[in-house]
Amino acid sequence: MEQPQGRTGGKIGIKEFVAIVVIMIGTKITDDTTALLFKPLLNAAWMVPVINGILAIIPVALLMKVSTHYENKDLIDVSYHLFGKYIAFFVLFILWFIGFCFIVVDTAIYTDIIGTMYYLRTPSIVIYGLLMFVCAYGARKGLENIGSVAWTVYPYLQASLFVTLLITFSQGSTNFLFPLFGPGALEVIKESSFTISIYMDILYVFILFPYVNRTKDFKKGTWIAFALIAINMALALISYIMLFDYHSVAMQSYPYHEALRTINFAFLTNLESFIFPFWLIGSFVKFTAYLYINLLLFAKLVKIEQFKYLIPTFATLIVFLGLIAENPAVTMHQLKQTIAYITSPMFFALPILFWIVAKWKGEFKK
Amino acid sequence: MKIVNLPCKLALFSLFFLLLTGCWDQTEVEQLAYVVAIGLDKPEDVKEGLVEITYLIANPQSGAKVGGDEPPREIISFSVNDFINARNLANTVIAKQISYDLLRFIIVSEEFAKDDDFIKWMYDATKATDFRRDLRILVSKESPSTFMQNNEPLVDKRPHKYFDLIFKRGKETGTIPPGELFSFYRITESDANVFLGVYATTEQEEEGARQEDSDQIIAGEFDSSGETNTTQFAGSAVFKEGKMIDTLTIEETRLSFLLSNIFEKPREILTAMPDPFDEDYQLTTRIQRDGNIDMNMDLEKEKPTIDVTVPIVLEVMTNHSMNNYSDDVKKREKLEDSLEDTLTQKFEDLIKKTQEEFGAEPFGWSLIARKEFLSIPEYEEFNWMKTYPEMEINVNVNLRIDKFGRQIRLPDLDEVRD
Repeated sequence: MEQPQGRTGGKIGIKEFVAIVVIMIGTKITDDTTALLFKPLLNAAWMVPVINGILAIIPVALLMKVSTHYENKDLIDVSYHLFGKYIAFFVLFILWFIGFCFIVVDTAIYTDIIGTMYYLRTPSIVIYGLLMFVCAYGARKGLENIGSVAWTVYPYLQASLFVTLLITFSQGSTNFLFPLFGPGALEVIKESSFTISIYMDILYVFILFPYVNRTKDFKKGTWIAFALIAINMALALISYIMLFDYHSVAMQSYPYHEALRTINFAFLTNLESFIFPFWLIGSFVKFTAYLYINLLLFAKLVKIEQFKYLIPTFATLIVFLGLIAENPAVTMHQLKQTIAYITSPMFFALPILFWIVAKWKGEFKK
Repeated sequence: MKIVNLPCKLALFSLFFLLLTGCWDQTEVEQLAYVVAIGLDKPEDVKEGLVEITYLIANPQSGAKVGGDEPPREIISFSVNDFINARNLANTVIAKQISYDLLRFIIVSEEFAKDDDFIKWMYDATKATDFRRDLRILVSKESPSTFMQNNEPLVDKRPHKYFDLIFKRGKETGTIPPGELFSFYRITESDANVFLGVYATTEQEEEGARQEDSDQIIAGEFDSSGETNTTQFAGSAVFKEGKMIDTLTIEETRLSFLLSNIFEKPREILTAMPDPFDEDYQLTTRIQRDGNIDMNMDLEKEKPTIDVTVPIVLEVMTNHSMNNYSDDVKKREKLEDSLEDTLTQKFEDLIKKTQEEFGAEPFGWSLIARKEFLSIPEYEEFNWMKTYPEMEINVNVNLRIDKFGRQIRLPDLDEVRD
C-alpha cells in the first residue's frame, strides 16, 4: 500500500479532519436527502438530526472505543483482526459496495441539481464528466491536500450557508413549526430511527483514523464534526419549514435551491447566483473525499498497492453508471431511499457487533 | 509539491463550471428580451385548454444615451398552451430570446382567476426552472393585455421600475397586499386560509361609484382627474382554494394587515376616523400595529372561541373641530374611547364578512392555532377552514394615542372670530 506523502508525512490535523467530515456529510441538507425526511415527518423533520444525533452517539462511541484501541490500525485492519479473514472481507466488501452506490447515486443527483437548477441546456454528461474529473484530480492528490482544501474553503461555505439561513429565518415564520410534533411524537421517533443512515457516512470516516495526527485529535474531531453536522442540519431544516410550510416543502425536490430562489436581500433579488459557486465548491470537496475514502477501502480490500491509478478508472465508471438512470430526480431518489432504509439498521448494528466481539475476545484488557 | 498550490488549482478547476455557462447555456444580455410581467387570460372562442398569454417586455435601452428614443416596453398577446411553451411562440414576433430572469409578477384577469382551472396554470410556475417564487399575483378587472396597454405612466416609464415602486409604496401604505406566489402555494396547499392577491385596473368606474367613505374602494373606484396614468392599484383579490371568490377594499385590506401577525406591518396607514366632538368632520389618523396581536384560543369547546387583542398606536393628524386635547384629559379619554370603539366595530365587521361570505380568514390565524395542537393529525381533524365560520371571535382593541401632529395646540375659534 502506497502511503500518501507530503510535508506532514501524509497525515492531517484536527482542523482539516473536521472540515472534511463536515463538508462530506453536512452538504446533505442541500440535496434531496431533505425530501426523505419531510415526506414522513412533515414539519417535525428538523427533529430528525437531533434525535438521530443522540441515537447515533451509541454506535459512534462504541466504534470509537474499538478502533482507537489499536494505534495505527484503521477500520480495515481492525476488522481483519477481530473477525478473521473471510467474515471481515465480506463485511467490508458490503460496506464498500454501499459506499460506492452512495457515490453513484449522489453524484447523479448533484448533476441533476446543477442541470435543472442552473445549467438548463448543458448536457448532463458534460456536467457529470467535469464534476468527476475535478473530484478525481483532487482525490489523486491525496488526503493531505484534500484536507487543506477542505479547511481553506470550509469557513466560506459555512458563512454562505449561515447568510442563507439568516435571511431565510428573517423572511419566514416560526408559526410553521407548529404543531410541534408533526405526525405525532411516537411517529417522529419511529421514522427517525428509520433514517438514522443520514449519519452512516461517519462509519467511513473511521477509515481515515491512522491518517489523523493524533488519536486524541481523531476522537475530538469526530465529535466536533458530528455536533456541527447535527446543528447545521437541524437549522437548515427549520429554515425550510419556516419559509415554505410543510405542505410545500414536502413537494419540493431540492428545498435549499428553492429557498435561494425565494429569498432576497435588500437590492439583491437573485441571490442564487451569489451562493451557487460556494455550493459548487462544497460539492467538489464532498465527492473528492468520498471518492478517496471509497477507493482507499477498495484498494485495501483487494490489496492494490498503487491505488492512485484506480481513481480515473473509477471516476469514469461512476459517470457511466450514474448516467444510466433515466430521470435521476425520481429514480435516484427512490434508490437513495431504499439504500437509506437498508443501511439504517446496519449502521446501528455493525459498531455494536465490533464492540461485542472485541469485548468477547478480551481485547480491551490487553 | 507545495500544499498552497492545490487550493488554487482546485479553485481553477471549479472555475471550469463557471466557464460552462459559455457553452450551451450561453446568453448575451443584449440578446435577451426581459419579460417583467406575464398576463394570463381565458381567450374567447378558442378550444379548451388554451390560455391567452401577454408578455410585458421591458426595454433596458430606453432612456440610455444610445438608443434612448426607443419605447420603454413591448407588449405581445397570443393564445397558447401555457407560459412555458409561450417562450418559443413569442419568437415568431420578438427577435430576442425570452428570459424570465427579471419576471416580477403574473397578471390574471378577474374572469380567469374565478375559473376552476386557473390553479392548473399557476402550478406551471413550479416547473419552469427560472421562475422565482417571490413573484406577485395581480388580478386585473379587464384582460391583462388591455391592462398592460392602458397602463402608461407619464413618469417612470420603464415598466420594471414603475411596478417596483408601486408595490413598494403599496406595502408601506397597506393599500395592497403582498400577494406573493409562494404564499399562494402555501395557503392553497394547507387549505385553511384565503390568499390575498393584488387588485388593479385601468378602467375607471362611471361617476357615482365612489362611496361615502374614501377608503371603502377597490381599484377602479378612485375618482381622479388631471393628467396622469389611469391605472389604479387598490384592494385585494380573495382566493379560496386556488380560485378567486371576492375582493377586499382598501380599508379591509388594511384591517387585514392589522389583524395578522404574518403580514409585514405597513409603515404608514393614513385614514379618516369619525370625530367624536363633531359629526360633520373626520379626523385623519395614522395607524400602526404596536407589536404582534395577542390571541387567546379555546378550541376544545363545542363552539370554539378566540379572543383577539390588537395593540394599536395612533397619531391624530388633523383636528377640524378645533379641540384643545392637550389641556383636557377628559377630552383625550373620550377621543380614545371613541376611536377604540370605531376600530373594534370595523374589525368585527370584517371578521363577520370573512366568516359569512368567505368562510375562511386571510389573517393567518390558523398558523397561530397550530400551537394549540400537538400533532398534525389532531390539527387536521379539527379542520380550521370548516370550523372558522362557526367560531365566536371577540376583538379587543388596545389603543394608544401617540401624538397630535407637530403642533398640538390650536387657536380658539371663537376668539379668532370675535
